Amino acid sequence: MLSPTYFLPKERFPDFLNALKSLGQVFAPVKVSKQSYSFKAVEKASEIAFEALRTILPPKKFFYPQSETLVKFEDGEIKECIEEPVFKVIFGVHPCDLAGLGIMDTIFEDSPGDTHYLRKRRTSMIIGLSCMPDKHCFCQSMGTDCPEKGYDVFLTDIEDGYFIEGKSSQGQKLLADAFADKVLERAREAHKDRYKRFWLDRSEAFETGFKVDNLRSTMDLEWENPVWEELGDRCLSCGNCTPVCPTCYCFDLVDVAALSSKQDGSGDAERRREWDSCQFVGFAKVAGDYNFRPGPVDRLKFWYRHKLHGFDDAYGFKTCVGCGRCTVSCPSGIDDIVKVVNILQVARQEKDEGQPK
Amino acid sequence: MIPGKTPYLSVKGTIRSIVPMAQDNYLFDFTERTGSLSGCRPGQFVELWVPGVGECPISVCSGRVSESIQLMVRRAGRVTSALFNMSEGDSVGLRGPYGQGFPMEAFKGRDLVMVAGGLGVAPIRSVWQYALDHREEFGRLVLIYGMRHTNDILFRQEFKFLLRRRDIDIFIAAEEVVGPALPPIAMQLGRVTDLLRQAEISSDSCVAVCGPPVMYKYVIDVLKERNVDEANIHLSLERHMKCGIGKCGHCFIGGKFNCKAGPVFALPEIKHVPEAIECDAASLQGGLE
Repeated sequence: MLSPTYFLPKERFPDFLNALKSLGQVFAPVKVSKQSYSFKAVEKASEIAFEALRTILPPKKFFYPQSETLVKFEDGEIKECIEEPVFKVIFGVHPCDLAGLGIMDTIFEDSPGDTHYLRKRRTSMIIGLSCMPDKHCFCQSMGTDCPEKGYDVFLTDIEDGYFIEGKSSQGQKLLADAFADKVLERAREAHKDRYKRFWLDRSEAFETGFKVDNLRSTMDLEWENPVWEELGDRCLSCGNCTPVCPTCYCFDLVDVAALSSKQDGSGDAERRREWDSCQFVGFAKVAGDYNFRPGPVDRLKFWYRHKLHGFDDAYGFKTCVGCGRCTVSCPSGIDDIVKVVNILQVARQEKDEGQPK
Repeated sequence: MIPGKTPYLSVKGTIRSIVPMAQDNYLFDFTERTGSLSGCRPGQFVELWVPGVGECPISVCSGRVSESIQLMVRRAGRVTSALFNMSEGDSVGLRGPYGQGFPMEAFKGRDLVMVAGGLGVAPIRSVWQYALDHREEFGRLVLIYGMRHTNDILFRQEFKFLLRRRDIDIFIAAEEVVGPALPPIAMQLGRVTDLLRQAEISSDSCVAVCGPPVMYKYVIDVLKERNVDEANIHLSLERHMKCGIGKCGHCFIGGKFNCKAGPVFALPEIKHVPEAIECDAASLQGGLE
């Protein structure tokens, strides 16, 4: 049986927000400057920036914070660091970011599961929200434009209200309760028609993109394309593209010694993880000062490959979700994935056409 | 629903003995009570934690299942320097074993050529120990060990005994004579590749290789000259495995995590992967970092 769908008139949104608040702390996109948004704790509906397209950081920050302590060394004993998380409701997550969370889930769930991520993730609820693409959005090209996983409830904006679908059991329970409390109505045929119309209109609204069917082979075949050198020459190795990426999960592990301890392992200490970036020069350095990616071009290519070619062997999926954050946050203007892929595809096509039939 | 223990949790390892080897290399013997590290296979590695300083991946250098775990450590960075300041009875954190190691079962019944360069002799030692402990299950054993200077030789005492055995052929070379005198070990001047050209190597041999990244390309070339099948060449790749469990991304090679899929790979698995074997040696010395 299909799970029931609901309709929420916009004037009743504050009641829906109250239902969310009864579950835990609610976070939603908030306008933080003239043109930027950030997921922040909200109390009132008026604080939420419903128009927000891409927040500065993706919602990964709630489950995989920039810095967290994993293990402690205290009084000569090694101890696990367990923080009991507060239940969080993340509202207003768009399809690209939902796909991003789905990818993060796969990585951190893979054996051995990362308990620090999973504990926080499993005490959360994700409320997705529909959006209309701008000139940098290319989720359609990456196949992440329709919500598939990584969420509990999804809201589609159909002008005077939201068409609401539940995905997980906790999401469906939330909706059933809100329906019983008369916050939600059952979706009627007219709502369903507007819902279908919205998604059709949205699929036509993309201004940018590329063909994806040959993406992996193109990345392999164009590995020596001169565009990489051009981009590498302009790359500042600032690492901006990685924290803003919904699927960049690389981290460094560092020790923080207590002020009272000596630097010989005799005092208390914490083992902490911090976001790292593959764009930094020492990222692939090994013993003996060998560096597998010494130049900006090596590192940039590596990042592009990871996003567009991905984990064929380890997990079998590409890790770019088409949110456009890297494009807008790159100070050199070189993380334009769409432009780069198009250059590579044209180059490949020219070679294909040059081949004798 | 509630996840179990953090995978980053170490167990306490107590230093049982420290044996200074050549130069800045010490052989540490650790005991650990939980038994979680017993059963390390040749080619696997552990993460060694000096609390307050940091963690580093070190390959296991003993192929024998015993109550202790042996690690050959070179004083190179902060963590290893802190470890060198410790004494017998002091404790560190250990977690592992991680990685796939050398496919010892697949090597059985075949000739086995072990190629070690420099500190790469540490993991290769676990391979020869295993092979000698199961001697009748292997064909010919050939051990090739190259180092930069004559006084860099590790496991000198062990080699004295090994060189007397008739069931393993050992070739040792150093590029340069350094130190008071040649060690009392039969050694020649040259490189690993020179030894590989001299040794009798059957084309159906299995090969286990571990050494500095620059060595691999040349070793592979010579093995191909000797008509060794690529599928039988197993290389332990050097990467900085910071987490050891396929999360942190530092050891990523193409589509694989070196810490989980490796560090030992058969050549056909990685030969087409960009940057798997090629590296830029010391490109940044005195540079940006």
